[in-house]
Amino acid sequence: MARTFNRRLLLRTGAAAVAATAGLPLLTACSNDDAPAGGTSDTAPSPRPGGTLRAAFVGGGAAETLNFLMGPTGLDYVRARCLHGALGVLDPAAEHGVRYGVLERIDVSDDLTTYTVKVRPGVTFTDGTTLTARDVLYSLNAPVTLGSLPFLKPPSQNFDLARATVTDDLTLTLPTQRPIADGRLVLCQSTLVFKDGTTRFTPDMPTCGPFRLAEFEPGQGASFTRHDDYYGLALGTGPYLDALELRTIPDATARTNALTGGQVDFVSDIGPVAARTIEGDGRFTLAVSELPYATSLSFGLNLSFAPLSDVRVRQAVKYAIDREAIVRNVFFGRAFVGNDLSSLGFGDYADEIEQRPYDPDRARALLAEAAVGKITVAVSTAPEVAGMAETATVVVENLKQVGIEATLDQRPTGQLFSDFPAYVKLPFAASYTPPVPPLSSYAATRTAGSPSTFGFNRPDIDDLVGQARGATDPSGRRDAAVRAQRLIWEEGNQVIPVFAPSINAHTPAVHGVRDEPFTSFEQAYLA
Amino acid sequence: MNHAALAALAVRRTAAAGLVLVALSVLIFAATEVLPGDAAGTLAGADATEAEREQLRRDLGLDTDPARRYIDWAAAAIRGDLGTGYVGRREVVEVLADRLPNSLVLTTLAMAVAIPVAAAIGLVAGLRAGRRADRAVSTATLVAVGVPEFLVAALLIAVFAAGLGLLPEVSLVPLGGRPWDSPEVLVLPVAALAVAATAAAGRLLRASVADIAATPYVEAARLRGVTGVRLALRHVLPNAAGPAVQVVAVMFAGLVGGAVVVETLFNYPGIGYELQQAVANRDVPMVQGITLAMSATTLTVLLLGDIAHLLLNPALRGRA
Amino acid sequence: MNGIDTAETGAAVTVTRSRHALTAAGTAAAVVVLAALLGPLVAPASPTAQVGLPFDVPSAAHPLGTDAVGRDVLSRLLHGGRAVVLLAAGATLLASVVGVTLGVLSGLAGRRPGEFVVRVVDVVAVIPGLLVLLVLAAGFPGSDTAILVGVGLVSLPFSVRVMRSATRQVAVRGFVDAARARGDSRWRIVRHDILPNVTGTMLAEAGIRFSAAVHLTATAGFLGLGAGPPTANWGRMVNENTAGIALTVWPVLAPALLLVTFTVSVNLLADDLAARWADR
Repeated sequence: MARTFNRRLLLRTGAAAVAATAGLPLLTACSNDDAPAGGTSDTAPSPRPGGTLRAAFVGGGAAETLNFLMGPTGLDYVRARCLHGALGVLDPAAEHGVRYGVLERIDVSDDLTTYTVKVRPGVTFTDGTTLTARDVLYSLNAPVTLGSLPFLKPPSQNFDLARATVTDDLTLTLPTQRPIADGRLVLCQSTLVFKDGTTRFTPDMPTCGPFRLAEFEPGQGASFTRHDDYYGLALGTGPYLDALELRTIPDATARTNALTGGQVDFVSDIGPVAARTIEGDGRFTLAVSELPYATSLSFGLNLSFAPLSDVRVRQAVKYAIDREAIVRNVFFGRAFVGNDLSSLGFGDYADEIEQRPYDPDRARALLAEAAVGKITVAVSTAPEVAGMAETATVVVENLKQVGIEATLDQRPTGQLFSDFPAYVKLPFAASYTPPVPPLSSYAATRTAGSPSTFGFNRPDIDDLVGQARGATDPSGRRDAAVRAQRLIWEEGNQVIPVFAPSINAHTPAVHGVRDEPFTSFEQAYLA
Repeated sequence: MNHAALAALAVRRTAAAGLVLVALSVLIFAATEVLPGDAAGTLAGADATEAEREQLRRDLGLDTDPARRYIDWAAAAIRGDLGTGYVGRREVVEVLADRLPNSLVLTTLAMAVAIPVAAAIGLVAGLRAGRRADRAVSTATLVAVGVPEFLVAALLIAVFAAGLGLLPEVSLVPLGGRPWDSPEVLVLPVAALAVAATAAAGRLLRASVADIAATPYVEAARLRGVTGVRLALRHVLPNAAGPAVQVVAVMFAGLVGGAVVVETLFNYPGIGYELQQAVANRDVPMVQGITLAMSATTLTVLLLGDIAHLLLNPALRGRA
Repeated sequence: MNGIDTAETGAAVTVTRSRHALTAAGTAAAVVVLAALLGPLVAPASPTAQVGLPFDVPSAAHPLGTDAVGRDVLSRLLHGGRAVVLLAAGATLLASVVGVTLGVLSGLAGRRPGEFVVRVVDVVAVIPGLLVLLVLAAGFPGSDTAILVGVGLVSLPFSVRVMRSATRQVAVRGFVDAARARGDSRWRIVRHDILPNVTGTMLAEAGIRFSAAVHLTATAGFLGLGAGPPTANWGRMVNENTAGIALTVWPVLAPALLLVTFTVSVNLLADDLAARWADR
């Protein structure tokens, strides 16, 4: 699950950033607009209100609900981000790395133990009521009180929410569990806000995001109209669209076909194959994200599966995988080689650690040394994001070449993570993680006891990460961060062979869709 | 035979169909839940402890006697409760109510296309049995029957959607709407289904027509100089109506199967697509409910065909 | 259900075809069967190994190019026929053996017990064959055996009916009564008097069933039923490679052509076999 939620977290984070932008006076938004998307950076026409944008996503099939806290797909978060206001979004270019949404600012005490959150005045819900600090606190608590995927839990893991105080309608004081410098990232990474006391996510619940829900059909899609009282409008930014349709089309080919057939205007995650097809078609535009906005594709090695509890077997697995071949053959070169460390491209990423080579001989030697006998293992995956199932197919072949009896256990889209408790018991499970900063995401998902660790329990690494996050000087942070990542690199139970950028495609009329890394339509317009 | 006897016969056939449905429900339940053995073993994962498995078995109600479970399931089904799917916790009955109409529209339209074409094929070929037109038609239909629906659909997509760009390759239905709200999404799925159905029904009708054309009654009409369309419509078609109704019923059953393939290919929001997803997701209650509903639908159509056949065929009435 | 009577007779009304057409069909079917059975022995590469870029166009090294994961299409093609041909053949064999047994016994039994047997096996016949496969696939995910049994089950009612009526036609001829009068055992009557006289019908019937079985197993492969990826299977190859059709058509077209060739030629041959038998 770590992977799952990570991804989501990342995505959410991105989404949050978008929201924040919307709330803020424009500019950041504009510059950002096409930058991560790449390819579309030519002169964009100025935003024009009106129109209906139709977009297609992988989605989660019939299992979709409006409860984004438990929603395992990117679309769940994209949809929630349309409906609900976000505290902010991560933006490496912004001050403190965060652009605020429904918040005005977050102040941190000098000792890094108290965060003061100021809510933006005049943020209104669809029922006419105003967002208060109590709603924000309730929303921060919700992942714990209502239950959520792990990637949404970081605020409750980093802040002592039980001791939080609502100073006034717009002010919230949050004590930290231990001193942290990156609390703003934690808060803004994925928190969406809804009303105090909400227990069920229904189509008619009051929401304060850029759009309001018109229709929701699980497995089919959702349609929205503009939220005319959205706080961002008063600030002179989006939403520009009159209406938005998010469709669920699990099959990648069908999704791309919906674009080429004129049924939708925007398609998320078309994958490298369709990208090659679309590239040559002047009627459509490709939007490929750049680092750090790349999704990591990874495999969790379950330590409760006996052979994998031996560090040499884990290392053998890592050396057995031909990462270059995955980048070349699965992604047509449109991907980055992974080094079994998450968050490639983020500031805290330890790029001084040498790239692990493809070395099947060494893998065989390590296996012989471990002497655990014949290893028979199923590699579980699903086509959740482009290239994920294909990567697992290559990994299975790689493992076979070093003598591990690997088989492919390919689930249908949306089914790998749908039963999380079952997922974390898989011996060798694929996952993907959206781009999130390494330290706070480690703290959220890899700390001992988190279900998504697949049994990884290293208090020493947890401590190093804690040290890094609590450090007041940059060199202290860097030093601890790199030491933690080296240990993870050597002994960890996560294989990250590749980072894939998101590849979306759209008609030339579509502008302002952001990938942060979850797709946001707040600033989108048709021109 | 009088009306009372006919009604009695219809009642008997209906009762027989009911028995068949009961038998099918037993088979469906056995194949999905009893024979595969311990579902908890699969769900719990390879390294689950025995205690965890026990708990899961209890949670899923798998610790009770299979016959007991079947009776509970069947009794609930009779009350209109087919349980809740594992995936998305959706009520099976609600899924059926939502998706079955979409599938029925697809199959009904396919039949509306296939029946007249098949009738024309059957008459043309059957009345010229053994001659060149018959040979051409028979070979063509034999080829068409042989090509699996997924290849027919793929070919249609390649030509009309990807190639000419005339029709959508994905059946995106307006949110909150029905497929017929945007009729263009129906065209290719209906066409894909109709090809196989037309060919199959055309072959069967050709056989009936050829039999009827060889009867003294039709021979006599021919000798009187009745030919062509008039012979076909006035003398052959009325006599072929009985078998034809049954052909249509059988064709419907075939379409129900074909719909699973075609709906999957076009992402068409019908019951066949739901079934394919449910099978892929190992969503046992959903598979049970959908197959039971599809079986009941097919049985009903076959039964209606059967009864219509009785009504239209005096000779059979006598035999009965 | 009566519908089945009609379905059964449909194929029997005959059209004579040219010898050339039949020779062509026979050759095509034989080539496909040989490719399916011997293919794995001559395949140039492993069907699951990555040998190059995905969706590469045909080259000297890979005459049909590569598939979605950069695997050799030719090798997958040569490995992917067994699932279709062997499963269909196994299912037909299963249905024929059980069908002949039940058909002959029920044909020789009295009218009521005989009809009872037919009614029982007909239970499966009223629902579409694909539904039977889907139910079994839900119960036994990833199992080719479930597909084999399912396709066999779908064929069974037809086999039983045809064999029963053939047996009854033979049984009303005098020599069975004569054998009975001689005091021959029932088994002897079956072996010496019934079976030799119904063999032709059985073969013609098996031909028709086999063509239906090929159709069903291919569809099952396309829907992802039976042994899962990365196993090669013509039906699934069509499904898993459609994404790259704009880059290279061969990963889809080659298995599709083989499937069509096979189903159509088997259909023609089965039809001809049935027609010849009906004429005798």
